[in-house]
Amino acid sequence: MQTFDVLVIGSGGAGMRAALEAGARGGLAVGLMTKMFPTRSATGMAQGGINGFLGNADPTDSVAKHVFDTVKGSDYLGDQDAIAFFCGQAAAAIREIDYYGVPFSRDGDGRIAQRNFGGQSAPRTCFSADKTGHVILHTLYEQCLKHGVKMLTDRLLLDLAVDDDGLCGAVALDIRTGQVVPVRAKAVVIATGGAGRMYWSRTTNPFASTADGMAACFRAGIPLKDPEMVQFHPTGLAGTGILMSEASRAEGGYLYNNAGERFMARYAPEKMELATRDLVSQAIETEIREGRGFGTGLSAYVLLDLRHLGREKILERLPGIRDLAMTFERVDPVEAPIPIRPSCHYTMGGVDVTDFRTGGTALAGLFAAGEAACVSVHGANRLGGNSLADIMVFGKCAGAGAADYALGRDRKAGDGALAAKAAEWEERLAAAMARDDGPAVASIRDRLAEAMWNKVGIFRRGGEMKEAAAAIDGLTEEYARCAVGDDSRVFNTALVNYVELGNLLAMAKAAVLGALNRTESRGCHLREDYPARDDANFLKHTLVTLAGTRYELSYRPVVVTDYQPAERRY
Amino acid sequence: MEQVVYRIRRFDGRKEFWQEYRFAHEANKTVLWGLLKIKETVDPSLAFVAACRSAVCGACAVRVNGEAMLACETPLDALLERFGATLVLEPLGNFPVIRDLVVDWEPKAARLAEAKPWLVPREEFSAEAGCRQSQAEFRRINAQTNCILCGACASECNKLTTGDDDFYEPFVYTKAGKFVADSRDGAAADHLRPVLARGLWKCVHCQECVTKCPKRVAPAEDIAALRRASIRLGLADNQGTRHARAFAGDITKTGRLNETTMAVKTDGLLKSATRLPFALRLLRRGKLNPFHFPAPVEGIDGVRAIVKAAKEAKE
Amino acid sequence: MRYAFFPGCVLDGAASEAREATVKVARALDIELVELPGWTCCGASHAQDVDELAALAVNARNLALAERLGLPLLTACSTCTLMLRKAKAALDGGLKDKVNKLLAAAGISYAGTATVTHLLWALVGDYGLDRLRARATRPLAGLKVAGYYGCHILRPPQVMDFEDHARPRSLAALIAALGAEPVELASARRCCGFHAVFPAERDAFKMTGAINADALAAGADCVVTPCPLCQMQLDMRQREGKAATGTAGDMPVLHLAQLVGLALGMTGGELGLGRHVTPADHLAAKVGGR
Repeated sequence: MQTFDVLVIGSGGAGMRAALEAGARGGLAVGLMTKMFPTRSATGMAQGGINGFLGNADPTDSVAKHVFDTVKGSDYLGDQDAIAFFCGQAAAAIREIDYYGVPFSRDGDGRIAQRNFGGQSAPRTCFSADKTGHVILHTLYEQCLKHGVKMLTDRLLLDLAVDDDGLCGAVALDIRTGQVVPVRAKAVVIATGGAGRMYWSRTTNPFASTADGMAACFRAGIPLKDPEMVQFHPTGLAGTGILMSEASRAEGGYLYNNAGERFMARYAPEKMELATRDLVSQAIETEIREGRGFGTGLSAYVLLDLRHLGREKILERLPGIRDLAMTFERVDPVEAPIPIRPSCHYTMGGVDVTDFRTGGTALAGLFAAGEAACVSVHGANRLGGNSLADIMVFGKCAGAGAADYALGRDRKAGDGALAAKAAEWEERLAAAMARDDGPAVASIRDRLAEAMWNKVGIFRRGGEMKEAAAAIDGLTEEYARCAVGDDSRVFNTALVNYVELGNLLAMAKAAVLGALNRTESRGCHLREDYPARDDANFLKHTLVTLAGTRYELSYRPVVVTDYQPAERRY
Repeated sequence: MEQVVYRIRRFDGRKEFWQEYRFAHEANKTVLWGLLKIKETVDPSLAFVAACRSAVCGACAVRVNGEAMLACETPLDALLERFGATLVLEPLGNFPVIRDLVVDWEPKAARLAEAKPWLVPREEFSAEAGCRQSQAEFRRINAQTNCILCGACASECNKLTTGDDDFYEPFVYTKAGKFVADSRDGAAADHLRPVLARGLWKCVHCQECVTKCPKRVAPAEDIAALRRASIRLGLADNQGTRHARAFAGDITKTGRLNETTMAVKTDGLLKSATRLPFALRLLRRGKLNPFHFPAPVEGIDGVRAIVKAAKEAKE
Repeated sequence: MRYAFFPGCVLDGAASEAREATVKVARALDIELVELPGWTCCGASHAQDVDELAALAVNARNLALAERLGLPLLTACSTCTLMLRKAKAALDGGLKDKVNKLLAAAGISYAGTATVTHLLWALVGDYGLDRLRARATRPLAGLKVAGYYGCHILRPPQVMDFEDHARPRSLAALIAALGAEPVELASARRCCGFHAVFPAERDAFKMTGAINADALAAGADCVVTPCPLCQMQLDMRQREGKAATGTAGDMPVLHLAQLVGLALGMTGGELGLGRHVTPADHLAAKVGGR
């Protein structure tokens, strides 16, 4: 059986950063497990930049301003102690990856260039043209090669194994051989990314963002925190939902409705297009709903206009955006505006991290970082540029936390629980592969996405969400008897999709439950039946816990230190 | 066109077979859309990988009618127009195949690691303070950073197809070249030695890598840049350098190539003597004239002045 | 039709029969070739490995000389075409001013008006296959010809954009226009190995042998190629290629101009068919000539 001191699961920015940090402690066996090849992860799709106070573009900027912008951006749902820690660490994390080799765009003095971003009071976002996540991901991969990090590719996390003495390790599907394999570990870091594929048909996320780690932790008894908080990025391409970076607005792009108005003037007169993502997304959907968009129904859109930036700036700062618009919308932004509409982008909620300094959870030895985790620094709305900073800061913390824990832990048993979990999954997967009738995975998945988009999307109402909850229960029943359609043990991607769908269904159910019970509007969570923020009753985190087969709700107060909740204007 | 046909080279882990899939045409879709359509409505057992579907993760590179490309970004209509209603899909060439269109990256990652593709920061930089680099210096590495490790450059590489023991995948040279070109890096020779030891001068100049890269990276140009850097660092005691220098030298000498002396300049007198039967073959047919010494071209002084000016411009 | 003719080094040396054939064919078709005075080696994709800027400047000089003549530049070599077109793309893409400072040392400058074409493109594109068909006094009926492109006439397509690099048609169309029968060659776009014959000899011979074997299997009477470097490799190195791939059987390899010349009624002697290492002089008789 493969045995590690620290097993990191997920090979995006958070996972690789964690593995590097755990490896740097020396003397520990560190494994990095991923269901694809490491450089295929969602981190690579982040375009715009990474936030941190460097003061390069604006000497009057400060950590305190970054803290306040993040707190306000979160609509006061972020924990202020965690946010202060996060912002305090961000600059060091950025300098460190510069030293690792991230090729940042530079200013006139050779320092890292910084630009404006949504919801920020200073230009604080460091970038590499519009492929910042891509270059960070590849730089971390290079560092993993340098340090000989042991990679376990093509391994899908199935579950964590826990016995009376605590965490034993993880059980995974070796996709190449079709075998269910137990992996012993003293400490595990969950860095498996988000759950955006709940909204399958309209998301910026890769196919792999299927909540695998969130669901595994949930099944192991760890609560999901704030699962209802799902960010919709304002500018997804109209046809495909593919991301058009916030950098496109940060560099000066305008949003227009069908009357040729820069409609953001109505919603955020001061920040205009650079208001926070929740507000801009809600504004776009309002325009469309009130008949000021182009097209109708699911194919409706508004326009993102970059033409006035000029060819040179577009080629220098937004070359990737231009390529994507030309490839997927057949529009050259140099010559014509781009049809866009919000697209599901980021899961603010996730595995309940209880110690932000280590990424630790309620289960000793289990750590989480990145989009899979909820620390919470993003609260009800994440600022653009804060996710790459998040994975660098908290990836490092979780790697260190897991290493420290493993160093202090002497555990040899636990194989019983691992074997039991593996046997349970082997049986379940074999049965699923053997079924030759039953609903198809893709059909259930598509109906899940439809229910989520239509009823738990940008605008939410109690009645509709109850319908969505019922629909998800129905789909979960269907899932129990669905057919995989491929019984091969060799690289069975249909089987992978089957497991992923189970995770998405679990996460969606938790999200709807959290959303139904949060009878207020906050950040991305816009209840039309409860349009006001309700600090008296909801300045608290949702916690959804699995008890047997029941999803139980509880709450935990938000940590407020320096900034009392105030009205949010941009 | 109503029907599209994907003729797919499949592999189940033991045997290879071809399978044809038909599905209804829709306008403005991609190659990946077709694959997903097959998997979701016709045959869930068809295996392929894809992730970002926006041309940045590199997972979905496949070969269509012999050409490597990213399935996610390639418009189906353009291919149907180019190749007709039947498209032939295969896994990437020069990769071990795991199943159907899924290829094995693990051996490639091991080869990549040999080239030490990571920054070795100069001494004046630190993890605490980061680095300095001008925007012009950043631009010098910007193109190479576009590499998404999709493998398209390796698929039709003529050198790899003939024998890969002594040659790397083109992206390996690009990654190594990125660090040699990075002003923050202080160990160019560390990145150069491994690629010099494995194939740097063995590229056959077929331009397939430049043609296939979906991100406008030009591995062949990176190979040329690595060769120049190796010469600059004095890692020049090899056949490739001598051959290239023979060309450069003839240009300033007469303006034109002297074929008669090429072999001797490249291989030295002794080794080139082993090519004597070949030379005799040419002599017999009048292909080689040992008494043909090109006279300097008209304006040779100007040529020399230009080359000199170019050398000075760089210093 | 008038062109500034850029013969390139091998047409001046080992492949002088290609030069003679090119000149004769052009004359017969009333295409005027004015040899570019003072042309220099294009670098052949090797000088570029020593000094990129100098190699670029030297080709900028070649382009500037063509501008001085006021004529489009025509080569009969794929590598020369690629090197010159790459230089032009680099100059037009922003390096013109920088390189013109270097050219000043020789008292010339590049304006940007130069164009670069290849004999194949000129015949198919400028001259036209209908006209060529009409001039073919001795159509090559019964001759099975495998068109071999090689690399540099097609790739990279950003620079060599005459036709779709993945499914080129120009050679087959030209072969058919001359009355011969085009034979599909599976390896028509593969590399012959020429440019790596010193450092990667073993591989180069395998590549060479594979192409000849393909042509034999396809039942071709001969191979025709627009590149004299490919021709040299496939012809002069055929013996090594056969040894590397275990193939038997000779395969004559013609320069493009030689095939055209045959259809225009020229003799094997006039076209230098006797100078090939792999015998090719029987082809003239096969089409009813001498």
